[in-house]
Amino acid sequence: MTRAWSWFFSFVALATLAFLVAIFVWQSLPVWHHEGWNYLTGTKWFFRQREFGALPMIYGSVVVSVVALVLAAPLGMGAAVFTAEYLSRKPRLAVKVLIELLAGVPSVVYGLLGILLLRNWIYELFARFDLLSGDTLLTAAVLLSVMILPTVVTLSDDALRAVPATQRRAARALGLTRSETILHVSLPQARRGLSAALLLALGRALGETIAVFLVVGRQDNNLPERLLSLRPLLESGQTLTSKLGSSETNIGYGDPLHWGAIVGLGLILLVLTGALTVLGTGFGKRSDA
Amino acid sequence: MKKAILLALAGSFPVLAATAETLKINGSTTVNLPVAEAAEILRAEQKMDIQVDTQGGSSGGISMLGDGLVQVGMSSKPVSDDDRAKFPKARFREIHIGEDAVALIVSRDVWEGGVKALTKQQIKDIYESKITNWKDLGGKPQRIAFFNKEPGRGTWEVFVHWVYGSPKAAPQVSFPEVGGNEETRNKVAGTRGGLSQLSASWADGKKVFALGIKLDDGTVVEPTNENIATKKYPLSRPLFLLTNGEPSGAAKTLVEFLLSERGQELVKKHGYLRLRDLK
Amino acid sequence: MRKLSDFLIAAIAGLCALVAAGILVGLVFVVAQRGLPALSWSFFTEQIRLVGAAGGIFWNLIGTIILLGAAFVICAPMAVGLALVERVWLRSNTARRALRTVLYTLNGLPSIIFGIFGFIVFVQWCGLGKSWLVGGIVLALSMLPTVTVALIERLKAIPAAYVEAAAALGLNRAQIVWAVLLPQAWGGLVTGSLLGLARAAGETAPIMFTCTIFAGATWPHGIKDSPVLTLPYHIFILAQDSFDPAVGAKLWGAALVLLVLVFLLSLVALPSRLKMHEEANV
Repeated sequence: MTRAWSWFFSFVALATLAFLVAIFVWQSLPVWHHEGWNYLTGTKWFFRQREFGALPMIYGSVVVSVVALVLAAPLGMGAAVFTAEYLSRKPRLAVKVLIELLAGVPSVVYGLLGILLLRNWIYELFARFDLLSGDTLLTAAVLLSVMILPTVVTLSDDALRAVPATQRRAARALGLTRSETILHVSLPQARRGLSAALLLALGRALGETIAVFLVVGRQDNNLPERLLSLRPLLESGQTLTSKLGSSETNIGYGDPLHWGAIVGLGLILLVLTGALTVLGTGFGKRSDA
Repeated sequence: MKKAILLALAGSFPVLAATAETLKINGSTTVNLPVAEAAEILRAEQKMDIQVDTQGGSSGGISMLGDGLVQVGMSSKPVSDDDRAKFPKARFREIHIGEDAVALIVSRDVWEGGVKALTKQQIKDIYESKITNWKDLGGKPQRIAFFNKEPGRGTWEVFVHWVYGSPKAAPQVSFPEVGGNEETRNKVAGTRGGLSQLSASWADGKKVFALGIKLDDGTVVEPTNENIATKKYPLSRPLFLLTNGEPSGAAKTLVEFLLSERGQELVKKHGYLRLRDLK
Repeated sequence: MRKLSDFLIAAIAGLCALVAAGILVGLVFVVAQRGLPALSWSFFTEQIRLVGAAGGIFWNLIGTIILLGAAFVICAPMAVGLALVERVWLRSNTARRALRTVLYTLNGLPSIIFGIFGFIVFVQWCGLGKSWLVGGIVLALSMLPTVTVALIERLKAIPAAYVEAAAALGLNRAQIVWAVLLPQAWGGLVTGSLLGLARAAGETAPIMFTCTIFAGATWPHGIKDSPVLTLPYHIFILAQDSFDPAVGAKLWGAALVLLVLVFLLSLVALPSRLKMHEEANV
């Protein structure tokens, strides 16, 4: 009986998930028919004129997440080095608990701080660049970097702690100083776990909706000509998640094509975050130094 | 087994409003102000169960009414033929409860920099990004920070109706978006060179300022109640409650309340024009 | 020279930790500072009035609690089932790894995906409209990996000796589950659920299409078309109307209450989490 029930509930859970993926694929079919690959590469999104190109949003999502990671990674890993290598057990646990607590701060609270504080700071700070407003890709990126900071710290700390103590002791016995041990023994050996931490943090950044929605400006079709320049960061933009959280999701439901386009964005997001998560956990699991 | 537990839980909730019908309302943030307050009054005085939301603005109100998700929609634009075609089974009934106008609002620095009115052509050029700096319009040099209203908002449709004749004729543009009236006011107020479309009654003259429209003959029409009532100001728009067919039950109570003296006072209180103010 | 770089590295690392901790603590401090003035007995017991400018958040709290309760009840059986299947019933290692991969992937999915899924299937197709039950289902799905993984870890930590002893006494696998594994794993269920609920409490994206509205709901009166008010959605809507001074302190107050709720849920799970950490890696 127990066995039957276990299998039953597991089945319900797994079937629901399979169903979820199937729904996203199926409901987005109209837009794939209509646009084909242009859906992914098109740069114009005008739903009234039935044009659906998601590239500016993919660009927005990627830029915002990557910049967030670039900002959070050094700070987070530095902090993790401190907690993993310099703190003894009790303080380490205390700091870990604190950081994990802070990881739970809801995104809407971050969004609030973003609207009321961060966007004004950015607006004033970069005033000489003639910003349109404080709602920019950079604002979203900075907000996200604070949001993923706890994730980076916790997972990097775990990765560093996974390096056996014997390795460190051996290094010290050979005469290396503490910092040399960290740089030449701990960090290299924790490489896999650290990469996993970054991948997972990136996945989290990509999927964040509410905080980004509130500060990114929600400007469609703002794909810059030079993709790798820094200027676009100071302009408003749109990410996959900010579009999904917007009113178009409400209006789009009755129209199969428009709805398909919206769900398609969700599908892209699903694939991207799914891939990053699988990569990240795949990396991490094989870390046996 | 799981289902049984769930049903038992659901059934154990106090069935408070079992006898009364729940009145669900959704739509424009503009119309929401008097309606939300009317709902509070009706809840307190007549123990009615009313749920109000503002998802998706006027378009959200129309589509949720069409989908049968709400009984009353709020809209600051008329129901278009396209909307009727999209929901063939719904018989949209527009109930006029007041009048409002769309103003073009600017931030304090623009107003004090000397720009107090614009022509339709100038507005068109700004919308099409042909003019991008206030200095070309008689103001101080500052980038025009235009916040476009979300698609589907009544305010936006009234705007493009006036500038282009119909939403379909509006060109494809790319500007940062704002949603409801409050967000619009806040963003314009907090941005140098800010400009956006906003319900005239929300332009308080303290944080944001409403521009006048310069007509072809040079006269400047400001969005005052007088000009809106006489339709001299071109961007007026009706405030509607929408129902599917004739309103009945709780919906009827709400409608009658808003058309009554007390309800109309609420309309006026929030800065809009009452039906009797219109000429 | 080496001593210098040794010191520098330590200093940099310490600085990073300080800055990181500082940012995070500072953020909580800002919310607390602005939100505290709004907290009062009436704030907790009254309902919203005047679009958030007056009144309190009573029904928002109730709504959030209802959603969390529903999410837990829906999630628990599935999590226990999955954990048992992975630990006890599945034989091959590849199957187990596949299951774990699915769980980890699920964990990385953005919550708005669950929201849209819930909207399509339950709100529209099943005709439930906006309903607390749909919200519960959606939140249960989003917390499922957290709870399941916590359970699996807890089950893994049960000493093999217990299971062997039970087997030696003649118990079959199902009996071992009930007699040995589940009692020990109960703590893991509670811990994992509290962590999952902490995260679910703050979610806005999955609930805004499926179960919540801004004003007017009190107790849900059924399953169909029975939305609730919630804290996160309340904050989200008002955040876009944030400069109105009348709303200001109350908005921060609501944010503070949400923050405290989330922290409380995480903290209650703390003792068992600490124990698990210690057992896992020192």
